[in-house]
Formats: sequence, structure tokens, C-alpha cells
Amino acid sequence: MATKEEILEKLKEAVVEYEEDDSREAAQEALDSPDLMTPMEAVMDGLAAGMEEVGRLYDTHEYFVPEVLMCADALYAGLDILRPHISKEDAKMKAQVVIGSIQGDVHDIGKNLVKMMFDVAGWEVHDLGRDVPLEQFVEKQLETDSEVVAMSAMMTTTMLGMKKVIQMIKEKNPDCLIMLGGAPVTRDVANLFGADGYAESAGNAVSEGIKMISRLREFQAGMKSEG
Amino acid sequence: MAELTSKERVQKLFNREAIDRMPCFSGMGTVVIQAIREMGARFAKVHTDPELMAESALKSAELFGLDGVVVPYDMATVAEAWGRGLTLYEDSDDILYPTVPNKWPALEDVDIPDNFMAMARLPVVDKAFEIVKKNGLAVGAWVLGPFTLAGQVIELDILLKGAKKKKDQVEAFLGKLTDATITQAKHYESLGVDYITVREMGSGTDLLSPRMWKTLIQPNLIKVFEALSIPKVNHICGSTDMIVEMMNECGADAISVDQKNTLADSREKLGNDVLLLGNFDPYGMLCKEETTPAEVEATIKKCIDDGVDAVWPGCDLWPDVKQENMEAYVRTVKEYGKKASPAVGRM
Repeated sequence: MATKEEILEKLKEAVVEYEEDDSREAAQEALDSPDLMTPMEAVMDGLAAGMEEVGRLYDTHEYFVPEVLMCADALYAGLDILRPHISKEDAKMKAQVVIGSIQGDVHDIGKNLVKMMFDVAGWEVHDLGRDVPLEQFVEKQLETDSEVVAMSAMMTTTMLGMKKVIQMIKEKNPDCLIMLGGAPVTRDVANLFGADGYAESAGNAVSEGIKMISRLREFQAGMKSEG
Repeated sequence: MAELTSKERVQKLFNREAIDRMPCFSGMGTVVIQAIREMGARFAKVHTDPELMAESALKSAELFGLDGVVVPYDMATVAEAWGRGLTLYEDSDDILYPTVPNKWPALEDVDIPDNFMAMARLPVVDKAFEIVKKNGLAVGAWVLGPFTLAGQVIELDILLKGAKKKKDQVEAFLGKLTDATITQAKHYESLGVDYITVREMGSGTDLLSPRMWKTLIQPNLIKVFEALSIPKVNHICGSTDMIVEMMNECGADAISVDQKNTLADSREKLGNDVLLLGNFDPYGMLCKEETTPAEVEATIKKCIDDGVDAVWPGCDLWPDVKQENMEAYVRTVKEYGKKASPAVGRM
């Protein structure tokens, strides 16, 4: 019988080598071994760890966006099996996020990669899609009382719209955290807005999106200690 | 020393003949908000009306003393003609470029109409060219490269994953789009524009590996440039350091790159005979609140010192430029660009 390390390695490997079938198989193996690990461990230390390696490969120009997208598919193949078995308690939080690409922006590769990070972390994700009118972010945040609003803007055009959404949300709900593209989580609106002035290509979003795994882990740790 | 007209200056630059000074122009959207305001128009309106489109281009050039005009401003014209729809954002107070709302769900669904250059807003653009041509400025047209055009009409992830998993199918699809790009570019050539920029903007190494660029992008760009006889520019934004030599093998008269390119290195790789255009960040330099005219001047000078033959913005000008920064950009190009550039001498 496989050890915990072997199963986690298999999950990681499946993501890095973009093998969807292997990912499903290893996820099932993890589920079948409740004595060795929880489903959440399999996600975080297997699938997510694999995606972190993918981020490294992207940064060193070994992988490019086509590979990253295929790795993401492999991650979801495993995640779809593991996620239904992650208890709310095991996820250790019940956070929600509203996510979308802002009006004027029809790109969503970056947004989808960031969404993946929230999915991995077990958050409830309200995906508004792309080319989303500014008010919809505000409406959805108020409706769901989500802790985070994550907006992606790939083009200059839409950067300026973000400023407006931030103002609208902060007026009504000053505690809501706002993430822009791949910017670090912070309550400082000015810093947030200064995070990235001009990300024309999907490349920046890919790199930043992947790096968000560790930021999300830190963020979750922070929320746990606050709560 | 005789002063050249704007048109002559640009034409001579592309012919690599001696000129009086560096022309100040671009191959991509060059419309500024000051022009739109002076016309009393709204940005959302200039994309559908040939007179407004032409007037906004001419007025932008006139207000700041540019040597060229370029239309249109958005990337949706062809996709719209192919029935993919158009979002104009007419109710928005912000400056938003038109976008394409409906992509084809799969490669098999793609159906390109034969006579698409006569459809949707493409005749509007033709009419705008007719108007701007009457002025003495250089007239630039641009088209999307096959891969970037593909990204307008099909989900990028289908295309990118398909490039690995369904290589033959994606290659055949890109072959069709190459024919469409050639049709559009040759049409603009027949309208008598002075130069044409082929923008394969989504193909830098932020997205694709150099290896994939060589097999998937380069052969199609070679076909496009082979089909054209007017001066043509190969523009790619994003990371281009690893592919700039392959860009130069495509048969264009000039290479244009954005601020992510290490220009001095590219100049060294390509030698002094190649026309190199670039490479300042139009938003960061011209629009960003904190950027001063002195910083603009320093950046433009650096572009020239690094070895461009004409200073081009890395992308469309973002219309909301700061008056004093735009002035600093044009002034510096004209003054600091009096000296010869690597590929083009001075009269």
C-alpha cells in the first residue's frame, strides 16, 4: 500500500506533468486512505504543491501558458474528486469571494487561475465571469457579505474602473478585502491600486495568480488568528 | 536644410533614406482625449462613425504635432464582421474600447464569411481612411496577426491547450485566419495607406514558448508579410527578448516591441541595418498621475540611445494622456531625434 508521501507525490506529479487521469486516480487513492491524510491535506500538500512547482517552472521559462492551463486542468481533475469530502471544519474557514474580470475586459485566463487558488483553498467562489459591470461587484458583495472581492483587469482600460469599485465597496463595507489581479492582500486601498499599472499580457496574471497560493495560505492563517 | 513633410519623413524612414529628424508617429491607435473633448464627442461614438473616427485621429495629430494618423482604435472590427457581436459601452462614462462578446465555442464552429471586408464596421474604417488620406500626414493601418485574431473569436484556452493537444487542427485553423489577415491587410494596401502594422500582440513569450512561436506563429507571419508590398511592421508586445531574432526573420520592413524588450540588446542582436521601433510604456509615461514630463523626456531619450529608429509607444496610446507629458514626448522625439539613428541617416 502506498505511503502518504507517495500519494502526495503522485498528486503533485500529476499536476506538474498535466496528467488528468493520474490526478483523478491519486485523488481517489487519497480518499481511500483516510488514516493517512485528510482530503484537505491531499489538496494543499498534493495538488496545490504541484501548482506551486508549476509556478516555478513558469518563472524559469520551462513552462509557458499552454502548459500552465493543462496543469490547471489536471489540478481540477483531482480537486473535483476531493472537494466534496472536505468538511467545512477541515477547510478551517467559511470564507467567500466575489471574483470577475472588470467591464471592458474580455480576458479571463488570469481570473480563472486566481479563481483556482480560491477553489483549492475551499472558499465559496461567486464567479461573475468577464466584462462585468462595476455595480455588479458591489451588488454581489452586499448580497453575499463576501470577505473578499477579487477583480482582474488585464488592460489599462479597466484599471481605472477598479478604483471606482473599490470606492463603492469601501463606502458600504469598509472591512471587505479587495484583491486586484495578483496583488497581495492588503487593507490599504492606495497600495492595492498601485500594485500593477499595466499588465497587457496574460503572463503577469499567470505568474501572480500562481504565487497567490502561498499568499492565500498566509491570509487564511491571518483570518484564523483574527477570528 | 529643407524640411520634409510628415508623409515624406515617414516614407523615407521606412526606405531607410536620410531624413531631417525622427518622425513622431505610431502604428497603433493614436487618439487622445483632448481631441475627443474639443470635438464635443464621446469616446464610445467615434468607433461607428467614419467622420468622427477620422476627425478624432486628425485632431489628435494636429493638437500635438504628430507625423502620422492611425485608424481604427479597437480590435473588434473583424470579429464583429464575422458575426461575433460588439459591445460599445455607450452608457459608460469611462473610456472603454469596444470588445467582442461572443466567441465561437469550438474550432469546428468557426465560419468565416467570404466578403467580410464589406460587413459591419469595416466599411466605416475604409471611409475614415478616405478622409484622413486627404491630409498631408502619413497614414498607418494595422491588422491583428492570425494568432491574435484567433484569440478574438475563440477562447484563448482552447487555442493554447489545442496548440499542444490538437496541433493539426489548430494549425489548420490558424491557416484560415492567416488568409483572413492577408485579405484585410491587402485591402488596406489597396486603399493607399503609407504603412501597415501587423500586431501579433498575444504571442510574446509571456504566453508561448519560443519553440511554439517558431512553429505556430512565425510561418503565418512570413506568409502575411510576403503578401504585402507597402512598408510593413511586425509588432509584438509583452516579452520579446527571446524571439526578437525570429521576428526579424519574418520579412517585415521594421520590428516594433514594447517596454518589456531590452532594446539595447535587441539592437545588438539584430545589427544596425534593421529598422527597430519602440519602446516606451504609453500608460505609464503619458497617463499615470505621478509621471513627470522630466521622466517622460528621460525615457524617450533612453529609447533613442538604446537604438530605436523611431520612438513608438509599446501599444495604443491610452487616450487619457496628460497634456504636459504628451508634449514632452513629442518635443523630445523631435529634438533628441535630430541625430542619426542606427538604420537611418540624417540629411
